[in-house]
Order: sequence, then C-alpha cells, then structure tokens
Amino acid sequence: MESQVSVTNKREKAGVSSTATSKDKLYRFFDRYGMLMILIGLVILMSILSPTFFTTGNLLNIVRQMSVVGIVAIGVTIVIITTGIDLSSGSVIALVSVVAASFAHPDTYPVIVPILIGLGLGLLTGVINGTIISKANIAPFIVTLGMMTAARGAALLFSDGRPIGNLSPSFLWIGQGDVLGIPVPILIFALVGVISYILLNKTKFGKYVYAIGGNEQAAVIAGVNVDKYKIFVYGYAGLLSGLAGVILTSRISSGQPTAGMMYELDAIAAAVIGGTSLAGGIGTIGGTIVGALIIGVMNNGLDLLNVSPYWQQILKGVIITVAVFIDSRKNRKS
Amino acid sequence: MKGRMKWISLVVLLFSFSLLFGCNKQQETAQSGDKPGKIVIGAALPDFDDKWLSYLQDGMKEYAKTQKDVEVIYVDAMNDANKQLSQVENFIQQKVDAIVIIPVDTVSAPQMVEKANQANIPIVVVNRIFDGVDKATAYVGSESIKSGIMQMEEVAKMLGGKGNIAIMNGQMGHEAQIKRTEGNKQVIKKYPGMKVVLEGTAEWDRAKGMSLMENWLQSGKKIDAVVANNDEMAIGAIMALEAAGKLNDVIVAGIDATPDALEYVKQGKLKVTVFQNAKGQGQGGLEVAIKAAKGEKVEKFNWIPYELVTKDNVDEYIKKWQ
Repeated sequence: MESQVSVTNKREKAGVSSTATSKDKLYRFFDRYGMLMILIGLVILMSILSPTFFTTGNLLNIVRQMSVVGIVAIGVTIVIITTGIDLSSGSVIALVSVVAASFAHPDTYPVIVPILIGLGLGLLTGVINGTIISKANIAPFIVTLGMMTAARGAALLFSDGRPIGNLSPSFLWIGQGDVLGIPVPILIFALVGVISYILLNKTKFGKYVYAIGGNEQAAVIAGVNVDKYKIFVYGYAGLLSGLAGVILTSRISSGQPTAGMMYELDAIAAAVIGGTSLAGGIGTIGGTIVGALIIGVMNNGLDLLNVSPYWQQILKGVIITVAVFIDSRKNRKS
Repeated sequence: MKGRMKWISLVVLLFSFSLLFGCNKQQETAQSGDKPGKIVIGAALPDFDDKWLSYLQDGMKEYAKTQKDVEVIYVDAMNDANKQLSQVENFIQQKVDAIVIIPVDTVSAPQMVEKANQANIPIVVVNRIFDGVDKATAYVGSESIKSGIMQMEEVAKMLGGKGNIAIMNGQMGHEAQIKRTEGNKQVIKKYPGMKVVLEGTAEWDRAKGMSLMENWLQSGKKIDAVVANNDEMAIGAIMALEAAGKLNDVIVAGIDATPDALEYVKQGKLKVTVFQNAKGQGQGGLEVAIKAAKGEKVEKFNWIPYELVTKDNVDEYIKKWQ
C-alpha cells in the first residue's frame, strides 16, 4: 500500500540503514498493516458484542455512512502529506450543498448541471486556498480557517439560513441509489480511492507531493514548481469536498447551510489514524480509508450497543488516541 | 523575502480585523420619542431577517396597536452581540420607559440586564433564557421541558400507552436537549408499558439523524416510536425508515414545526411536531414590559404555552410560514 517514496523518506528520517533483519521485517509488517489489524480487531470485538454487527447489510451501511467523510479525508491526506492542513472541508460541503441543491429542482436543469456546479465550486475554493497559501506564503492553517468561516457564511447567505428541498429523483440517485446492491456513495468512494491511489503512487504529481512534504527546500532546489503543485493539491482537496457535498445533499434530499459541521475534524482524524504524519511526507490512501473505516465502525458499533451518548464521546476519544499511540510506537522502534 | 511577506500578511490580518470590529461601532441613532405622558418601549431584537422572530415581532406590533399612548422602537442587532449592547446603551441614554430584549446570545445578556438595572429601567427578557435571567424584571418565553412533555404525551396516546421508544438527542449539553429529553422521560415514566430502548445523539443534524436511525435499524431492536429533540433529526430518521421500508411501523415525532417538517406532517410521515408560539411570546413580552413601565407588579416568569401540530391542524401552521 505504501509508496516507495514515503518509505524511503520515513527511513531516512528514522536514520535506519537499509539492511533488513528479520526483526526489522516484523516491524515493517506492523508499520504497513498495524492499523488494518486494529480495524480487524475492532470488527471482531463488535461482532462478539453485537450479534447484528457482522451482517452484509450493516457492513454496507457502515461504508456508506463513511463515504462522505472518507472522500474528504482522501483529499485532506494529500494536503497533510505536503505538511499542509485543510480546515475548510466541512464548510465547503455546506456551501456546495445549498448551491448545488438550488440547481437540482425537478424539471429545471439536467442532473449533470448541479453536479458540475458543485464540483466546480469545491475546486474553486480549493484553488483559492492553494493560491493564497503558495503565493502569499501564509500558513495553511490560517488560510483554510478563513475559508472555513467565509464558506459557512456564504452558505448561510445564499440559502437565507434555510434548507433547500424539492430535489429531482435523478439527483437523489447519487446519494440514495444503488448498483447491483451496492450503494452509489460507496462506488464513488471506491473510485475516488483508486484514482487518488494512482495519482499519488504512479504519477509525477505523487512523487512531487511526497517530495514537498519530505523537504520543501530540497524540492525547490530540485526544480519542482512547488507553488503549482500546492495549488493542485488544495484544488484536488476542494474538488473532493465538492463531491462530498453533492453526495451528502443527495443523501439527505436537501441543501443545508449547516451541513458538514465538524467533518473536517473527522477527515483529519481519519487521515491521522490511518498513519498520515502531521509533520508531512508520510501518508497513504489505503491507510486513510482504513482510518475512516475505524471511525465508522466505532460510530456504528457504539450505536448498536446503545452506549450512552456521553460515553460514546469519551470512548471515541480514547480509541482514537490509543490507536494512534499503538501506531506511533512502531515508528519509534523501527 | 519571507520576513516581508510575514509583515504584509500581518497588516492584511489587522486590516481585516479592524474592518470587522469597525462595523460594530456603528451607532444606532433611533429617534427619541420622549413625549410627555407617552410610554416608550425599546425593543432590541437579534435579527429582523429571521422568519420565526419576525412572527414574534408581529405579535408585538399587533399588541402595540391595541394600546393607547404606547410607542415601541424596534432595533435590529443583526446577530451581533456587541451591536446589541450599544443599542441597549442607547435605549438607556434615551431614557425609555422599559426595554424588551431577545438576547443575541446568552453569554452577553447578563451584562445588558445589569446595565438596565443600574439605570433603573425595567428590562424584560423574551424567548432566550440564561443563567441570571432572574436579575431581569421578568422573563417571557416557553419552557423547554413542556415541549418534550407535550411531544411524548401525544406519542404515548398514539401508541396506546405502551411501546419501545428511541430518543434522538440534540447536541449533548444544550439547554434544549437536556430539557426536551427530560420532558420525554417524565412522560415515559408514567406509563409502565413504555420504555426507552435506544438513546443516542444526532447533534440537531439531518444527516446524522439518518445515520443514527440506520444504525438503530441494524441493531434489530423493536422500535415503536422515534422521539427526536428537533425536526431535522426526525426527518433524517424518517428518510432512513423510508429507505428500509419501515416507516409504517414506526411513529416519528419532532419539535420546532419548521416549514420542511410541516410538509412531512402533511404527508403523514412525521406524526407530531411542536410549535413554539412566536406571536404569543412577542405579545406577552410587550404586555409585561408596559406593565413594568407603569410601575405595576409583574410575574418574574411568564410561560407561553407550546402548540401541538399534527396532520389535523397542519395547514394552519403551513400558512404561518408563507
């Protein structure tokens, strides 16, 4: 799952020589699959505790629920690999939600129009983020915090603070339909995963993303157009937020200015649980998908077990911290 | 190069902050209607654009018309607590006879009450309750717990006093969440045949309500009614139930009577919602303020009853939002 570049980066950072002992191999196995094993462990635990957990219906349910946050998390992962951060995703979802919904009423425009407008708007916010970050050299945290506030405000302004309903059936199919029994959001999520994996591992773009995150100065010296690639990266994250906004809107049959509240934090959590380093240079798409599924399994399992809402929050916090703690130990040891 | 960019960004930041705060300084110069023998009431409202609050204001206006020698000055804080504070200060400067206030937020509200008290001007708080509201002359509003009781009682009636209840909470810790759920549980306790089988939070949000309901449906537990703290979560639950083909087996109830929710009531999908009487609160608030201005004794807490909305009376509420 892990790309060649990131492995090299990580090993360089840890100062490890490339001769692999058998112990080293074991750690590398944990390094790659540690989180996947935690996910499998959680699934087994939940299956024991709740007889209805491990059913096809429920497993599809979990993945469908995590599709929206998962798609956002994939974009955020690439941003974090470049040592950036994107706090604007949740608000961009809301803005896209109300704008796309207003073009999705029955018998007005063909369904492709609200979809393209939603994607375009997401892309635009991302490109704005990326341009300010790279050209004005302002910290990503500040720029995307500004976008988070502004986009939420724009969503409220556009919709007058009210939900926008009455959407066409073809638009609703995106979030509610299925193909051969598999919900459409899951298919989109999978497609985004595959495309992003290829982008990150098989293209020059991916190589440069890891290079920028590993050592930005070195990337500049090596002749990488860092500004351009940063704009690409934030643009892609914005595009995926836009896509997530379209899916969410369709799923809940209405454009909501308050939608996507705190989704950015769930997305960042998924990326970090999945092994993405906030220090940059390290992270994989597969890891992030596993991270998103861990959050999804927790949400679903705790609901199934009817754990009190207060305890749910505490348990989620504990599980996230413990998972990352276990994961981080492997880095120290290797 | 990098150092210079830092400075430029700092200047840009400071400039945008000064713009932000500069707006707050705009002084409202509401004209003084200080004519002898006339009672002048200052009404500080948080947002003229809010539909529900506009009904509250209508309630005040209608009541004002029935009163002789009463003039009401309405000001709009545009959801800015700072602006509202200066508006209240202006009312005090103008020496109005009483102030009616719907606080923008409950954090800044005590300070405004304090200022009015110092100036010896009666201040009546409407709709939004906060800690220390007893320092104001009076409070007029609806009691959150009542909406939970009303909602649950109607559901109990529909279920014939027995069944499995799932409670969908709003954001945990919000006043409305705590009280509405408390009201639900008070009613459930009265019926031995009813019990809470599931309880979770969907943070007032439709998408989260939908996810929570989907998870509940997977749990295989028998659910006879879903009682949600607000309409948006109830709609989310309805959508999940509909997708699973189980809406006919489960009663769904909400609170707020939003325009969207009323459509669901009309279609028979949402069985119950509860309407907070906006006009009643506006009228009640002004009535108490006028009494206080005349120096008459007023009750500290004045509760305006909620109204139950079901398919039978939904049309009358749909009209209210048009």
